[in-house]
Amino acid sequence: MPLGSIVDFLGNCPQYIANGLANGCIYILVAMGFNIIFNSTGIINFAQGEFCMFGGLFAFTFGVTLGLPLPVAIILAILATAIIGALMERLMIYPLRNASVITAIIATVGASILFKALGRMFWPKEAYKVPEFSTGNITIPGVTVSRQFLWVLGLTVVSVLLVYLFFNRTRAGRAMRACSINRQAASLVGINVSRMSLYSFLLAATLGGIAGLINAPYASYSIGLFLGIKGFTAAVVGGLGNTFGAVTGGLVLGLLEELIPGFLTVVLGVSTGYKDAVAALLLVTVLLLRPQGLIGKGVVEKV
Amino acid sequence: MLEVKNVSAFYGNIEALRAIDLWARAGRITTIIGANGAGKTTLLRAISGLIPTRYGEIRYVGQDITNLEPHRIVKMGISHIPEGRQVFASMSVEENLELGAYLRPRRHRKEIREDLAFVYDIFPVLGERKGQMAGTLSGGEQQMLAIARALMSKPRMLLLDEPSMGLAPLVIKDIFTCLKRLHMEGLTILLVEQDAQIALSVSDYGYVMRAGKVRLEGDAAGLLQSDDIKKIYLGEEQPPEVG
Repeated sequence: MPLGSIVDFLGNCPQYIANGLANGCIYILVAMGFNIIFNSTGIINFAQGEFCMFGGLFAFTFGVTLGLPLPVAIILAILATAIIGALMERLMIYPLRNASVITAIIATVGASILFKALGRMFWPKEAYKVPEFSTGNITIPGVTVSRQFLWVLGLTVVSVLLVYLFFNRTRAGRAMRACSINRQAASLVGINVSRMSLYSFLLAATLGGIAGLINAPYASYSIGLFLGIKGFTAAVVGGLGNTFGAVTGGLVLGLLEELIPGFLTVVLGVSTGYKDAVAALLLVTVLLLRPQGLIGKGVVEKV
Repeated sequence: MLEVKNVSAFYGNIEALRAIDLWARAGRITTIIGANGAGKTTLLRAISGLIPTRYGEIRYVGQDITNLEPHRIVKMGISHIPEGRQVFASMSVEENLELGAYLRPRRHRKEIREDLAFVYDIFPVLGERKGQMAGTLSGGEQQMLAIARALMSKPRMLLLDEPSMGLAPLVIKDIFTCLKRLHMEGLTILLVEQDAQIALSVSDYGYVMRAGKVRLEGDAAGLLQSDDIKKIYLGEEQPPEVG
C-alpha cells in the first residue's frame, strides 16, 4: 500500500466529507419520514421514497413546465406531496385501521408500486433537471461545493429543528408522541388516534417532498426505491423511531458512502462501483451487532 | 348513569361477552368481580370503545354510546383506567397528567392548573415526582398516576380495571382509600377486580361474572356474605387467601 496514495486519500477527504454531508442530509429527511409514521402507527411505510419522487416531479411540473417562480414552485411541490401523503392515509391506511400492522405495511408496498407507475405515466421517463435554488459553486481550498449544498444543509437543519419543536412543544406533537409510546392509552386520554395517523403521513410526505426537492438537480420516477432504501437504512442504523437516530444514521451513511469507495479507489485501486453496497453492508452490520441502532435504547416490550 | 343491555362482544370468533346486562348508578361504586378470563376487562373495553360491540346496546346518561370511538367516549365524561396502568413511560409525571387534560380547551388553562393541584393533593407522591419519567415509578405510584391522569379529563364516571394488580396490601389499601374519597367528591365508579373482598367492601352494588356471563348480582354487603359467590366466583374450589 503506497504511502503516496494514502496521502492523496487524506487530501481528498474534505471533499468526500462535503459530498457525504449533502447526501446525508437527504437521507436524514427520508429517515425522519420513516420514523414519524412508524412511531404513530407502527407501520414501515415503503412508499416513503416515492414521496421524494413526487417532490422532485412536482418541482419539475411547477417550476419548469408551468414556469412558476422557483419559491412558489417549491412551496406548491411540497404541498402537493403532502396532499398525496394525506390521501394515501385516508384511502389505504385508514380503512385498514382494524387490521394487523403487517397488512398495512403490505399496503404501503402497493402504494409504492402505484406511485411509481403514476410517476412514469404522467412525467417524462428520462431523468431531467429540476431547477436548483442557487447555481454556481463555492470553492475553498480542498473543497468545491455547489451553492445548492448550502441550501441542502440549511433546509435540513431547519426541518429537523421544526420537527423537534413540533413533537415537544405543540399539542398535536405531544399527542403523536403519546401514540408512539402507547396507542391504547393515548386513545383513552381522548387522543383521536386515527387523526394522528393522518398527521403522521402528512408530515412524512412533507419531509419526503423536501428531500426530493433538495435531491435536485435530477428528478425521475425511479428515484423512490433508491432514496427509500437509503433512508430506511439511515433510520434503522440510527435506531428506528428516534429523531436523533435519524440524524446520526443519515450522516453516518452519507459519509461512509463517500469515504469507503474513496479509500477503495485511491488507495487500493479498486473500481468505484461499490458505493451502493455500503448501505447494505452498514445495515447488515448494525443489525447484527447493535439491532436497536446506534442511538436506540432497545425495544421496550409493552406488557 | 351507565346501562349495558344485552351486550355481546367477540375476540375473533370467540364470544368473550354473552348477553351482558348491567347498571351503574350515578354516584355509586359498582363493582364487577370474577376470576381471570371471566370477561370483566373485555366488558370495560367494550364500554370505552376499545373493542367493537357485536350485539346489544350501551347507554350513558340516556345517550347511545355503543361502538363510539374511544376519544368520543372520553369527551362524554367516561374515563377508563386500563389494566396494567399503561402510563406514558418515557414522559414525565406532569406530561402524563397534562395529556390527561388533552381534550380540555386551552382557555380552561386555569381550571386545569387547579385540577393538577387537586390530584397532587390526593396523591402527594406524584407532586414530589412530577419531573420524573413515569416508567421509573413503582407499581403503586404508576397506578396513582393512571388514576390521576384519568381525573385530569374531568370525568363524571371512572372505569377502573384491576387497580390492585401486583401491588402490596398496604398500597392497595391506600388506593382504595383514594377511591372512596373520589366517590365522596361525586364520581361514579365502575370497578373491575379479582380481589372480591376489598372491592365489595368499598362498593354499593356488585356483579359476579364467569365465562362471559353475569352469574350473580346484588348489594355489595349481601354479596360479601353470600355462599353462592364462593361457588361461582371461585369455581367451587377451596377459597384462596384474599387480600
